[in-house]
Amino acid sequence: MALGKGEGRLQYAGLLLAPLFLTASVVFAASQTTPPPLDRPPRVLILYPYDERIAATTAAGEALRGRLLEATSGKIDLFSEFLDLSRFPEAEHVQRLGRYMAEKYAIRRPDVVVALGKESASFISTNRASIAPDAKIVAAGFGNSTSENIDLPDDMIGAFTTFDILKTAEMARGLQPGARHLYIIGGSSEFDQGWLATARADLAEFSRSYETTYLENLTIEQFIERAAEVPTDSIILALTVFKDQAGRNFIPREAIGKIAATASAPVYGPYQTYINYGVVGGNTVTFETLGQTVGNLVLDAIAGRPIKDIQAPQTYIVDARQLKRWGLAEKNLPAGTIQMYREKGLWEGHWLAVTGAFGVVLVQAGVIAALLLERRRRKDAESRSRLHLLEAVHLNQSATAGALSSSVAHELNQPLSAIRNNAEAASVLLQNDSPDLQLIHQILLDIQADDQRAGDIIGRMRGLLKKRSEIDWQEFDLNDVTSNAISIIHGEAERRGITLKTKQPTTELPVRADKVHVQQVVLNLATNAMDAMTEAGSDSRILTLATGVVKEKAELCVADTGNGIPQERLSSIFEPFYTTKQAGTGLGLSIARAIVETYGGTISATNRPEGGAIFRVALPLARGGERHS
Amino acid sequence: MKPVVHIVDDDESYRTATARLLSAYGFAVEVYESGDEFLARLPGCEPGCVLLDLQMPGRSGLQVQHQLSELAPLLPIVFLTGQGDIKAGVDAMKAGAQDFLEKPSSGAVLMETIQRSLAQYERRRTEYERRQQMRTLVAGFSAREAEVFGLVVRGHLNKQIAYALGISERTVKVHRHQVMEKLGARSLAEAVSIAADIGLDHGQIRRVSQSDGSPSP
Repeated sequence: MALGKGEGRLQYAGLLLAPLFLTASVVFAASQTTPPPLDRPPRVLILYPYDERIAATTAAGEALRGRLLEATSGKIDLFSEFLDLSRFPEAEHVQRLGRYMAEKYAIRRPDVVVALGKESASFISTNRASIAPDAKIVAAGFGNSTSENIDLPDDMIGAFTTFDILKTAEMARGLQPGARHLYIIGGSSEFDQGWLATARADLAEFSRSYETTYLENLTIEQFIERAAEVPTDSIILALTVFKDQAGRNFIPREAIGKIAATASAPVYGPYQTYINYGVVGGNTVTFETLGQTVGNLVLDAIAGRPIKDIQAPQTYIVDARQLKRWGLAEKNLPAGTIQMYREKGLWEGHWLAVTGAFGVVLVQAGVIAALLLERRRRKDAESRSRLHLLEAVHLNQSATAGALSSSVAHELNQPLSAIRNNAEAASVLLQNDSPDLQLIHQILLDIQADDQRAGDIIGRMRGLLKKRSEIDWQEFDLNDVTSNAISIIHGEAERRGITLKTKQPTTELPVRADKVHVQQVVLNLATNAMDAMTEAGSDSRILTLATGVVKEKAELCVADTGNGIPQERLSSIFEPFYTTKQAGTGLGLSIARAIVETYGGTISATNRPEGGAIFRVALPLARGGERHS
Repeated sequence: MKPVVHIVDDDESYRTATARLLSAYGFAVEVYESGDEFLARLPGCEPGCVLLDLQMPGRSGLQVQHQLSELAPLLPIVFLTGQGDIKAGVDAMKAGAQDFLEKPSSGAVLMETIQRSLAQYERRRTEYERRQQMRTLVAGFSAREAEVFGLVVRGHLNKQIAYALGISERTVKVHRHQVMEKLGARSLAEAVSIAADIGLDHGQIRRVSQSDGSPSP
């Protein structure tokens, strides 16, 4: 399928390049002085003779661009101008273009100008002084060394790529070892005549092995008629037919196409464009090769290396359908021959459907690939952002643990002191003559209870410092987590002279999330509230944590009796790094929001009419809970 | 009368354990779960010393201390505090706390601190009682004697006193003798010291000198 598509492109390019490659040559021209080495990326201007939709020139141009970008690792400035001379051949247009480009490139004068095709070459040779006065000029196209005569200034050195008819003839001989006759077709235009002369010279030796006939000075009807009458053991070489004996003009591939359609022997021609016009094939220069070759030339010119005539390497190219039509064997092809239309049966019969189906499949595959890629990227992004969140939460946990450490240490002191005093009391009691065993037993029980209490405090602290690499989803009662958070901060509240109030419903509030994260939200809001009350009178420092069901969601309210939040700041308090505290990082509330939103909840802040702020966290109730209540 | 150790701590477990330990060492112990409870029961309290938790919900240790300085100024206060709470400690000491006990502390340290506090209490009480005795004596002076005493301890000579009170120097000498006898003071310095102890300041003396015959409070 992919091959078919590539061929289609070449075929199309071939159709369109005919006027170009039959009339132009590769010409290399350079100013005689070598410029100093550049301290910036070199600038290359590529001139296309037609508009950007003409695939032939575009194919050559793309190959050229590719070669240049590859060789310079992209350190090159490439400019393209489409002269559109086939649709606007008028002199006004050409002059206008010249003025326009002279002005446009005034600030960035090209170092090299590549003119694709004869029209471009003529254009730049006329306008080079105003557009690119110091540039080296490379003119590129297909041509015939003897018949082509481009009118270029004398100071430009020309280098041509030749079309070797002998190689095409040799390919034909290889494919038709039993052929006895050789026919060479050429038209009546000056170009055609020149070609015929070249062929006569080139084939002088080759034609001796055959009964050779030059079909020339004929009308198109005569060409067709003669070709249809040739013996089957013949080789027909088609040069060009721009004009027939009757003076009618032709696009050569179409003239040759008509001839080949009814010819009684295989027709060969040295042009890529003849493929798909009934011609078996030939030896030619492809647009890609041309682009590559010109690219190398440009690179040499940029580097200031000496430059000389150059030949674009030639390739053998055949139409696999024609091989089949004439029963020619693939094995007789020269090595490296490009075969086009190999899947001709399916392709020829259903090319539209195949192209359509292929297009649909391609589009589908593209969409699927894009979606998969998108999904993967989103997953990656999600997991990255989740990881960042987990990191942030952990930092936040550590900060909370640090802030609470002194009250936690104090809290831990209580059971430890009690254990110590109890133990010592017991040992003193045991020294009595008649120790009170019942009391000692009670003491031991109390020691156990206090030890448990100390263990719980440490356990909570450890929970506070627990680092997550993944979210630990579980269903739990929001009341439990709130109670746990309260037991973590109650020491701190006590230390600051804050009264803690809690309101909890008797029913469970099941939510699905990571316990540690939700606890961190409660802690952030509670410590925030406590900080907000630093300036309040000690009698009125009240922190209220209330839970309940609001609008079918589990809600947690954290209310303080501080000064409230200034109205203009209500909207920005959840932004990262927003803080009003001297020592705050400004992350507590933003992390709280990030956590809550991760579990599909919302968080909001309002001021209470009686003073102080109130933060509300709403989390979706887990399904199990709905069943419960 | 045996001194009592009063333990005021909101943590029941610590309160109970400490009470057990002190009881085991033979102290009389009373426990209170808050400063309010202690202050409420204060009138019926046996004297001794107070172990007062610095961090309590409701009335804090420092607030209780402030109340106690008026209601029971003789009672030594030992603050119980967590480690490293330096600021609260300094505040408490400035406000006249007797001592500090860091939780957790060994029984030996606890015992030593309590012994020291109780000794302090004894000293304070003895001093207080002596002072009360002196106040009673001074209160027993006649009006004239009080006037003479006030001027004597301010360093006035007999001649100046006689002139100030409009009496003869000889009469001054008689009153002065009476005053020294009643106070049991053997020298002028001793009398001055007693006056300073009971807080007899200039205002009082003036009031004493202006009032006629009524005993000073």
